[in-house]
Amino acid sequence: MIEIKQSSPYPLRGVLPTDELMLSGHLACQGCGAALVMRYALKALGERTIAVIPACCWTIIAGAFPYSALRVPLFHTAFETAASAAAGIKAGLEVLGKGDITVLAWAGDGGTFDIGLQALSGAAERNDDIIYVCYDNEAYMNTGIQRSSATPWRAWTTTTPTRHPKDEPKKDMMAIMAAHRIPYAATASPAYPEDLVRKMQKAKAIRGTKFIHIISPCPPGWKSASELSVKLARLAVQTKIFPLYEVENGLKWRITLEPKGLPVEEYLKLQGRFRHLSPEEIRKIQETVDAEWARLVAKAKAEAS
Amino acid sequence: MSTKAKAKELAPDRVVAFASEREMPPLAVSLGTSLANKTGSWRYLRPVYEEKEPPCNHACPAGNDIRGFIALILKGKLAEARELLCETNPFPAITGRVCHHPCELECNRQKLDEPLSIRALERLAGDEGYNGKGLRPPRRRHKERIAIVGSGPAGLSCAYFLARKGYQVAIFEAERKPGGMLRWGIPEYRLPKAVLERELALLRDLGIEFKAGLRVGQDLRLEELQAGYDTIFLAVGATAGVELELPGGEAAGVLHGLEFLKRVNFGERVELGERVAVIGGGNTAMDAARVALRLGAKPVVVYRRTRAEMPAIPEEVEAALEEGVEFTFLAAPIEVLTANGQLKGARFIKMELGPPDETGRRRPMPIKGSEFKLELDNLILAVGERPDLSFLPEGVKLREGRVNDPVLVEALRAPIFAGGDAATGAGTVVEAIASGRRGAEAIDRHLRGLPEPEPEREPVLVPFERINLDYFEPRPRAQGRALAVPERVTNFEEIELGLSLEQGQLEAERCFSCGGCNQCDNCITYCPDVAISRHDDQYEVDYDYCKGCGICAQECPRWVISLVEEEK
Ligand SMILES: Cc1cc2nc3c(=O)[nH]c(=O)nc-3n(C[C@H](O)[C@H](O)[C@H](O)COP(=O)(O)OP(=O)(O)OC[C@H]3O[C@@H](n4cnc5c(N)ncnc54)[C@H](O)[C@@H]3O)c2cc1C
Ligand SMILES: Cc1ncc(C[n+]2csc(CCOP(=O)(O)OP(=O)(O)O)c2C)c(N)n1
Ligand code: SF4
Ligand code: SF4
Ligand SMILES: [Mg+2]
Repeated sequence: MIEIKQSSPYPLRGVLPTDELMLSGHLACQGCGAALVMRYALKALGERTIAVIPACCWTIIAGAFPYSALRVPLFHTAFETAASAAAGIKAGLEVLGKGDITVLAWAGDGGTFDIGLQALSGAAERNDDIIYVCYDNEAYMNTGIQRSSATPWRAWTTTTPTRHPKDEPKKDMMAIMAAHRIPYAATASPAYPEDLVRKMQKAKAIRGTKFIHIISPCPPGWKSASELSVKLARLAVQTKIFPLYEVENGLKWRITLEPKGLPVEEYLKLQGRFRHLSPEEIRKIQETVDAEWARLVAKAKAEAS
Repeated sequence: MSTKAKAKELAPDRVVAFASEREMPPLAVSLGTSLANKTGSWRYLRPVYEEKEPPCNHACPAGNDIRGFIALILKGKLAEARELLCETNPFPAITGRVCHHPCELECNRQKLDEPLSIRALERLAGDEGYNGKGLRPPRRRHKERIAIVGSGPAGLSCAYFLARKGYQVAIFEAERKPGGMLRWGIPEYRLPKAVLERELALLRDLGIEFKAGLRVGQDLRLEELQAGYDTIFLAVGATAGVELELPGGEAAGVLHGLEFLKRVNFGERVELGERVAVIGGGNTAMDAARVALRLGAKPVVVYRRTRAEMPAIPEEVEAALEEGVEFTFLAAPIEVLTANGQLKGARFIKMELGPPDETGRRRPMPIKGSEFKLELDNLILAVGERPDLSFLPEGVKLREGRVNDPVLVEALRAPIFAGGDAATGAGTVVEAIASGRRGAEAIDRHLRGLPEPEPEREPVLVPFERINLDYFEPRPRAQGRALAVPERVTNFEEIELGLSLEQGQLEAERCFSCGGCNQCDNCITYCPDVAISRHDDQYEVDYDYCKGCGICAQECPRWVISLVEEEK
């Protein structure tokens, strides 16, 4: 009989929580970033958590009936309903006197940036007491790599083939959530688990709607080597393409990790979905990233003064 | 249903099956866990923990476990660090001061910023890891007695390793005190006698007998030694200065480098004039010049090649320059100028470099008509040393290991062994130590009737490209405290003062730990399949679930994890 692994014998890297609430045997692809971030998120939130998952890769990853890879209750819901279903479950728990249980809505970028946006906006506007995580693999991966509004400019997907790569920039989801003036919003990356866990724990301690946006490398969708997922998640941060920061009450912006500012090319060149980019396009991406970064720094500065 | 069957059914990796639709729950709720799903079958690359050899360890002639002792320093375990070093090298405090440190030349870290300061760390372990308690004598396990001729690093090392194996050892030394070049070659400002004495005392603790002031071949014959001992290890070094055929070379005021250093090292007051030329480019020349400087002279080193070809340890050349020793390259003496048998100066000729000679260095060739004169008070000749084998039958040459020279074999009728500079010509302390250890092993095999060991397989070395630089930031190498030039040139005080524990630990942090797991936890942390566990200091992959993504191997900063193809 194999023993179920509930915890690591000690805090990993000296600090990460010991709980292991995600189990082996899940159905994520080799090197899946989304699986890794779930592992960290549940470490941070602990056993008294209910996960709500709309249609997305994670619907599959968790396992088909009658199995589950999570050691916490998991409620599958429709593609566009993660936030409203989570809010409803939270309301029910409160009626039952179990308001201490954390409700975690866990959706992909398609289910967040696109089809789930109105449900999320509604919950945020009501400031429903949920943690909403968008694990962002930058396309509809579960259904075969179709573009979403989170897909970066010029990336290849099956619906934006290299002859007509995506012509629209990635939607600024963090700004949209900050504009709702929710108590807490943050970005995170699986390359920085300590930062991710700290943000999840901070979110857990705050009442109201919390939004965590996590970059989640996807080897088949990004056409990258499975062993590079953590490296890509690190490069996304270090190139300033996906900076790590948090926003309190929509107003107080704080950068949580000072990036090295590596050239974006270091990140792009490891991914087949960007292989067709011309030097000119890479230069343009660099300019956009630099400009976005300057805007972020300005917001963080404005708050500090 | 038996309880055993029930337990099996409740196992977290159990397969849940329904005999009919009626058994299925009305709502899709999970009844089992994903552990039922052995995703290990997806894998085509298997991560395996496989430690590899760091280039530093491989480059150390003594075979020191450098990565290992640095890791112990990082944990503040200096006594353990010294103990680990002493497995392969009896004198970490000595090599920690004077070794030519080939390890640092190979250190992977230099490709990021600068090599680890391995020698200084070794000294820290050697000095501060010494608990002052001495060593416990090893259990005497063998009746055989071994005589060692020569108490330089080779003889001492051979004695140390034989004593640890449980043999009785006596060392015969021609000079009044043991140590070889460690005592009468290398000056106090680089290797204080107090350090040497401390290390020698530890050898006495091991029960090694020292018989100093007995020159074999003069005070007693080799055959006499042979009668009292089961075998002999010859480690007589290279103690005779190489002669230069110089007209006027026997004039008063002409000195021989090694002889000069020996007199100073034995505490004699040697009077020098101000104008001193030192001929040569090796360690002896450097030390002779620096000693002359400390005795009040203004030395100039004359070397017939260029700085690049100098056989001296580069740091020693650097130090001599810093201290104000002058250098004249591409010149050689041709005649000593004398008046009434007293040196007055010398004539030199300029050289140019021709095609390479048998040593691979370019051969110096005199330039016609380029002679020049220097007025001198002293001329110190330091153009090399060779072994003095006058105690052996004419024409005998030594090589390392069991001596197979037919003349000697015939004369002695019993196997004897040789090592160190006399046999290898290597000319460094650490190689002498290594040679002594190999000698001890060969002697042990001979006395125990053991076969030659299998030649070791070439280890897999960690190349720099296998270090994951995402985990290392450039940081300058530790600089130990040292006397400033004005504080050192007037005396023989030790120049280098070593690293503090704090500095040493900061330096140890710079080590990549190439190929050696130091429990950083990256593999276990980054596995998306929760397939790695840790038991004490060991990690284990659960191959039932590992999908072979390779993240653990990629994120291992130091190439401990290899990915090997699964059998198809
Ligand atoms: C001035 C100088 C500076 C040096 N600096 C360095 C340095 O910084 N770093 C480095 O790595 N190396 C240095 N070296 C080289 C290093 O010291 C030698 O390579 C090393 O000591 C050789 O060790 P050994 O045991 O073979 O011989 P030695 O150290 O030469 O010892 C041989 C011993 O045998 C004794 N002996 C000889 N004949 C007899 C006999 N017939 N009977 C009894 N005893 C006998 C001698 O008296 C001597 O004590 C230096 C050498 C010199 C001369
Ligand atoms: C209303 C509706 N439309 C379409 C689908 C099909 N569908 C399931 S998952 C998915 C894509 C999800 O993309 P994303 O949210 O980014 O998650 P990912 O699969 O990339 O993890 C789609 C289109 C659906 N389940 N429901
Ligand atoms: S980094 Fe450390 S282990 Fe690697 S070669 Fe240098 S000293 Fe040795
Ligand atoms: S990270 Fe996990 S799944 Fe990937 S190769 Fe290593 S042990 Fe296997
Ligand atoms: Mg997606």
